Amino acid sequence: MFLIRTVEQEIAALYMKNKIMSFVHFCVGQEAVAVGVCDALKNEDKVMGNHRSHGHYLAKGGDLKKLMCEILGKENGFAGGNGGSMHMIDKSVNFAGSTPILGSITPVACGAAFEQKYNNNGGISVGFIGDGASEEGVVYETLNLAALLKLPFLLVIENNLHAVNTRLHERRGENHNIEKIVAGFGVKYLRADGNDYQDVLAKAKTLVEDVRNGKGPAVLECITYRHMAHSAPIFDENYREEDVLEKRLEEDSLKKLRGQVAESGVSEEKLSTIEKELHGEVSGSIQFALDSMFPPKENLYKNLYV
Amino acid sequence: MSERIIKFTEAIKEATDQVMEKDASVFVVGLGVTYKNGADGTTGGLKEKYPGRVFDVPVSEAAFTGMAVGAAINGLHPIVHHGRVEFALFAADQIFTQASKWNYMFGGNNPVPIVFRIAVGRQWGNGPQHTQALYSLFGNTLGLKVVIPSTPRMAKGLLIAALQDKNPVVFLEPRWLYATKQDVPEKIYSVPLDKAHVVREGDAVTVVAYGDGLVASIEACEILGEDASGVELIDLVSLNPIDHETIARSVAKTGRIICIDTTNNAFNVGSEVISKVAQNTSIKLKNNPASLSCPNVPCPTSTALTEFYYPTKVDVANAILGLLGKSLIKKELSFEELHLAPSIVIK
Repeated sequence: MFLIRTVEQEIAALYMKNKIMSFVHFCVGQEAVAVGVCDALKNEDKVMGNHRSHGHYLAKGGDLKKLMCEILGKENGFAGGNGGSMHMIDKSVNFAGSTPILGSITPVACGAAFEQKYNNNGGISVGFIGDGASEEGVVYETLNLAALLKLPFLLVIENNLHAVNTRLHERRGENHNIEKIVAGFGVKYLRADGNDYQDVLAKAKTLVEDVRNGKGPAVLECITYRHMAHSAPIFDENYREEDVLEKRLEEDSLKKLRGQVAESGVSEEKLSTIEKELHGEVSGSIQFALDSMFPPKENLYKNLYV
Repeated sequence: MSERIIKFTEAIKEATDQVMEKDASVFVVGLGVTYKNGADGTTGGLKEKYPGRVFDVPVSEAAFTGMAVGAAINGLHPIVHHGRVEFALFAADQIFTQASKWNYMFGGNNPVPIVFRIAVGRQWGNGPQHTQALYSLFGNTLGLKVVIPSTPRMAKGLLIAALQDKNPVVFLEPRWLYATKQDVPEKIYSVPLDKAHVVREGDAVTVVAYGDGLVASIEACEILGEDASGVELIDLVSLNPIDHETIARSVAKTGRIICIDTTNNAFNVGSEVISKVAQNTSIKLKNNPASLSCPNVPCPTSTALTEFYYPTKVDVANAILGLLGKSLIKKELSFEELHLAPSIVIK
């Protein structure tokens, strides 16, 4: 989580220096969701994400240098600069791809689960979407289809209370109840405190076990706070109601986890050393990316087809 | 060798069956594909032969198409069937934005081996929302390979080729041709996805057609008899890419081109073909390029109106004669010829 936070902060710093010409959606504040869920998975399980997926990618073990190169548009990026921040992939760790068309990834991730069941290989697939994306019809079509086919599919809804800047109550009827909707499909639903790593981990483990044991798909909704604006490293406060600055700092998942780790007996010195090491790793990756080559012009025309 | 005359739909089923037998990664998903007469008779019986590999699904086009895209990304090779293009549009995001861009946006080595079988175009009584062809929409989308089978033999060879390809292939099936028949080889064979096919050779005029327009053109040549001797008929086969090279080679020889579209005139395939011919400085045209197509209105339902909608074999014959400076013919077509799908045997 510290790694993801540091990565996001460093990317934000670069962004402000106009070094990044890739649309970036920061996940600062939401790290516990990515890490809590991915820590409940096995290596062979697959994860797919969305426009805000730096955290999901890193939590699944995605290569940091390739991420930095991709965001900076360099040839050494995982997509050679064709993708950028909204198209993350590292198949070597089964992060199977992220796309920014919101609900779209839901059936695609369900298709990853379809393959796992088709070939009976024991893995499960996870799709991460946001609360805005969860309002798109294909999400509900997919829940029904996955339930019908009893697919090993976990849908994680990261509810950061906003679709861009539009609040939940501006998008949903006052009696809207996602739990009842999901239950109506015969799909198991749990809600976690997305600002609390331990809670996300515990609930993800429960659902992952069911999904892996052939009980069909499940939904984990994590209520969390997006510290930054929708797609820029700024802290626009105008539209916020629940997640005001004071509350965000109080509920900060990273601060909470750090406290828990310290309480468990890890010394401040040890924590600082680890943080310093991680920071060094991030700085090194950024330097590697800055030093890397841009893709040559001819790459523009490559890879439209396999 | 004895002839083996089978229907267009049987050719599609045979291709599917033969590939499924060899390749366990191939599965079929679509509405009603498990019915005895599933997918217009192209999938019936496959579920019994391949249990667990043929899926009837909820009426959720975006979800089942997206699921198939996800399965393809993860190593399977789905055939997704949409009985009408209008329903495929529910899954437009998955076809046009996800499957088509996947390999490019991840910098290569990310294949999406999937076949979208989509029935398009005319059928009596189907009206404005069941007869669109939308060829240009698919042809315009980068990252898709788009083919239109015009005969049973092509249907089988192209479907097998599509299932051997690692890219997303849109297989636009003109529903109008489902009952046409042809001598089709029993063995597994493939036809290149990206090459136009010269159906008959001639040196006076190049006719470029595809799908039901190709069949109308074949019939037009029969009507023309001796007058068709100079016709070089090209089955376009592929909309993405368009095989401009084969067309240019032909028009360089004939100096005349006519394109037959069975969709409305604006932004149609013929316009694209003619544009490239016109820009080709090595081609000297003897006449202005000609084009036949449907009018710029949706296809209505009443036969009193559809009679004037699609170019007929007589229209094609006269367009050819007109381009050659010959006098036109008058021939009344029967109600069946005008309004019912052809069940002819194509040579």
